Amino acid sequence: MEKETSTNSTQNQVSTEKVNGGKFLTFFLQNEEYGIEILRVQEIIGLMPITRIPRTPDFVRGVINLRGKIIAVTDLRKKFGMEDIEQTSETCIIVVQTNGTEIGVMVDKVSEVLDIADAEIEPTPAFGASVPTEFLLGIGNTQGGVRLLLNIEKVLSDQQLLEFTNEALSQMV
Amino acid sequence: MSKVSQDAISSLKQIRNDLNSLQPDDTQTLIQIGAGLEQIAVGLPEEYSAANELIIDCLGTLQAIFEGRTNDFVESAKLIGVALVAVDQGISSVPNPITDAIIEHAKKNLQKALSVEPATGEDQPTTGETPSDEDAQPESADDEASSGDLTTLDKVAAFLIQIEPEDTDDFSLICESLKALSSQSSVSSVKKLLTKAAREANKAAKGKSSDAQESLTLIGDLIEQASEPALETQPETEPALETKEEKPESRKPAAPKKDQPAEVPEKPAPEKQPEKSSKPVAKEYEPDVLTDDADKMLLTDFVVESRENIEAAESALLALETEPDNLENINTVFRAFHTVKGSAAFLGLARLTELAHLAESLLSRIRDGEIRCTGGYADLSLRSMDMLKEMFESLQNAIDGGLMTLPNSYGDLLEILTDPEAAGVSGDSDGNSKLDELEEESAEQSRGKLDKSSRLGDILVDMGKVTEEQVMLALSQKDGELLGVMLVNEGLVSPDDIEKALAIQKRLRTEKKSSGESSVRVRTDRLDRLIDMVGELVVAQSMLSQDESLLRGTQFELARKVAHTGKIVRDLQDLSMAMRMIPLKNTFSKMARVVRDVAQKCGKIVYFETDGEDTEIDRNMVDLIADPLVHMVRNAVDHGIELPEDRIQSGKDKIGRVRLSAYHAGGNVVVELQDDGKGLDSKKLLKKALEKGLIDSDKGLSESQIYNLIFAPGMSTAEKLTDVSGRGVGMDVVRRNIESMHGRIEISSEKGKGSLFTIRLPLTLAITDGMLVQVGSERYIVPTVHIYLSFRPGNNAISTVAGRGEMVQLRGELMPIIRLHNLFNIPNAIENPTEGSLVIVADEKRRCALLVDELLGQHQVVAKPLGSGVGKIPGVSGGAILGDGRVGLILDTAELVSLARQNPNERGQTESQKVA
Repeated sequence: MEKETSTNSTQNQVSTEKVNGGKFLTFFLQNEEYGIEILRVQEIIGLMPITRIPRTPDFVRGVINLRGKIIAVTDLRKKFGMEDIEQTSETCIIVVQTNGTEIGVMVDKVSEVLDIADAEIEPTPAFGASVPTEFLLGIGNTQGGVRLLLNIEKVLSDQQLLEFTNEALSQMV
Repeated sequence: MSKVSQDAISSLKQIRNDLNSLQPDDTQTLIQIGAGLEQIAVGLPEEYSAANELIIDCLGTLQAIFEGRTNDFVESAKLIGVALVAVDQGISSVPNPITDAIIEHAKKNLQKALSVEPATGEDQPTTGETPSDEDAQPESADDEASSGDLTTLDKVAAFLIQIEPEDTDDFSLICESLKALSSQSSVSSVKKLLTKAAREANKAAKGKSSDAQESLTLIGDLIEQASEPALETQPETEPALETKEEKPESRKPAAPKKDQPAEVPEKPAPEKQPEKSSKPVAKEYEPDVLTDDADKMLLTDFVVESRENIEAAESALLALETEPDNLENINTVFRAFHTVKGSAAFLGLARLTELAHLAESLLSRIRDGEIRCTGGYADLSLRSMDMLKEMFESLQNAIDGGLMTLPNSYGDLLEILTDPEAAGVSGDSDGNSKLDELEEESAEQSRGKLDKSSRLGDILVDMGKVTEEQVMLALSQKDGELLGVMLVNEGLVSPDDIEKALAIQKRLRTEKKSSGESSVRVRTDRLDRLIDMVGELVVAQSMLSQDESLLRGTQFELARKVAHTGKIVRDLQDLSMAMRMIPLKNTFSKMARVVRDVAQKCGKIVYFETDGEDTEIDRNMVDLIADPLVHMVRNAVDHGIELPEDRIQSGKDKIGRVRLSAYHAGGNVVVELQDDGKGLDSKKLLKKALEKGLIDSDKGLSESQIYNLIFAPGMSTAEKLTDVSGRGVGMDVVRRNIESMHGRIEISSEKGKGSLFTIRLPLTLAITDGMLVQVGSERYIVPTVHIYLSFRPGNNAISTVAGRGEMVQLRGELMPIIRLHNLFNIPNAIENPTEGSLVIVADEKRRCALLVDELLGQHQVVAKPLGSGVGKIPGVSGGAILGDGRVGLILDTAELVSLARQNPNERGQTESQKVA
């Protein structure tokens, strides 16, 4: 919790980062609609058998075989502290490119590819300590509704995971 | 081939036909021929300057015929014919040493013909077409005329190369001129050199010199040195002079022609000049500096390419040592240095250029037959190569952002290279005469085998033009003459036949060359991806072929097509696996170098042979195996092979043999290293092992167990440390490396007879032999090499310690049980060891029993890294795609064991994890 507040202070910094408008892939988690810059997205694949990885945080769903390449899959629901739900036929994995590697992101359903203009993007408002807003680039306020634009790199290169594995490693030594 | 030379060749043919029908008094045809030749000479591109010169010589001879100055018309015409064949040879391919040599010979003959002509020196220049001039005329008839001209050093030098070693008059003439010059000279060092040269000439003139040819060379060298300081003032004349002096023998025929400087640029002499003049001042060498805007990509490519070049050159150089006359090898080495020099100069790497250049100069002397690539010269070449390698290393370092440094001995080496003889380098090998004999022998054999079918004589015999006896006879009298020329001279065959035979020979040779491997460079990551994709295709294909609708057996057509695709896919898979395989050749040739160096250092005589160097092995393993092999080969030479005296004493041949061989056997690659040295001393090993506390007693150890002790760290039976080996680290590394490749090493040895090390390696690292195990709903892969055995324990085998730690007893050994389901927090797994299976695994310290539900069977899987999204997972070494397309995790058993040891209370740990 403490960490959240500290990141909140860097909040302004995040929002002052210029978020360029452009095409975003939007998807749903619960009832919220999120957006990822389309250039980050490599492909969208249906749900496939995921191999669980032991001794990892629960938001790491495991690894899948993406045409011969093994990639990790993160469950965004778990990551954002939402409830687990039954997987449906609409549940899918968005494969995104971050830092030169591919990572799968599991979402409830994919919605559309949307043009969001510069002017329609608003800086993330401060919600206070309870809402993890450091993952957001900004908020796309369009006619169709509000989309939360994710800073997917930040989501996936999250410290939490690193700390976890480091901890596990240090146990071994 | 350019159009120009095409045209030239066809008109050459015409001219030769004319020549064959030429009558002594047929001036019309003579003029026609002359005109034709002239036309060819004009049309020839620059690079064929040698051929051009020869044509001009032919014109000169024609002129002589025309003017009736020849003694023997038929002889002269014949010589022209032969020369034209040589021209044909020369221009129908890129200029190379072979054609050069042919042209040179033809030229020599022509000049001989000219020199017996009754004409005087003054008449010569009137041979209109010849653009030669007065001061370079070589004819012996010129002696009187030119003697007065010997007023400058280079004139003396030019004269020097024209004289025959037997001609004492010429020597005295030279002696006089040198004396005169030396008295004129104001520089004392020059004076000294000239006086010395004069003395030598005098000696030769009086016939006191044992070898006139040698004196000639010596005088040439001295003059060259003397003219060195003068160089700065007259740099234009110097290069040509020096070149001539470098090779008095071979250059002689070419010397008289003025066109000669055209050949000069590829000779070492001109470039040598700045080297020498800067020598006294620039002893400190500054390393090159990479500028900020240097093209890193380009530099990296350069380093990669040059390393490959040098590697190829190194093996060629080593081969050269055994057969110093193999032109192909010399050229390979030469080319490598030349390429490095060129590229380095282009990239502005002055130091590299300098070194490569000097090494090239040395090699060019070897190439021109001035020195032989043996002993000191070979050493020097190898050292230059090492230095280059070191410098590439530092360049790479600089590219990666480090600092570029110069190897310490750079300056020294440069100095030695500049003048090897002065530094005491010679072609003598150090007392390894027996070795030389042996090598000579094998070289003889290989020479015999070499090119048997492409020898000119054989071709002529095959063509039915001459008999074998005639060829043998011609060969027996052949003194520096080309066989073709001899046969034509003796009137056995016509120049036309020779021409045909030469064409056949050329074809044979090129065929031989083109049958070599051709390859395309592909980036390794692309290759890896391709292989991955093929693997995926195989899985997809197998999923397709097991599709329900196919298995129902109603879709015959479809099933047939799927089966067909399956076949193609399997072929593709085989092919893709083969693509990552490369032969062990390079690794083996590196070992040849190791043997050579170590043997020299230890004063041993070792004959190294390799076998099966074409055996292929996974690309990634080639590097991994090189290190252990170096250690083992070093050991074999240093510890295995005895000193020559000891060998003789024990009744063995003086020459030790080390044999490295590789072959495929039973899905493995087997690499064997065999030596005929003293073998392993098991008593000594036991004693050492007891001393070091590696074993408790020497009882009950089998022979092979004792030998295996040498792999223990700190084990060495060498009585004293050398810089080669003896610290007892090597074999430890060997075993580690081999085990990291999932390989095994075995030793067999017989005292006094030698040892045999056998390394067995899997064909590829990419494929792991794994046991698929089930735990709850999860499946994991345990590498088979790490499984000692697996079993289902009985009730009485299980015991607990303090109610918590579980132990299982197997054949008297107590092992802790690791519950994988606890460690990995897997629900619904079998918890009772007597219902599941125990898999015995180990880390460095002890063995443990891993509890799993059941063993599903053995699989060959391709190990892949897990995505970067999960980081390093303790206990898991990677993942693999299983047959059903899912990902299976490969367990790292050693890590699992230490993980379990760290957290003896796994259950509590995993529960706290759940809470977190």
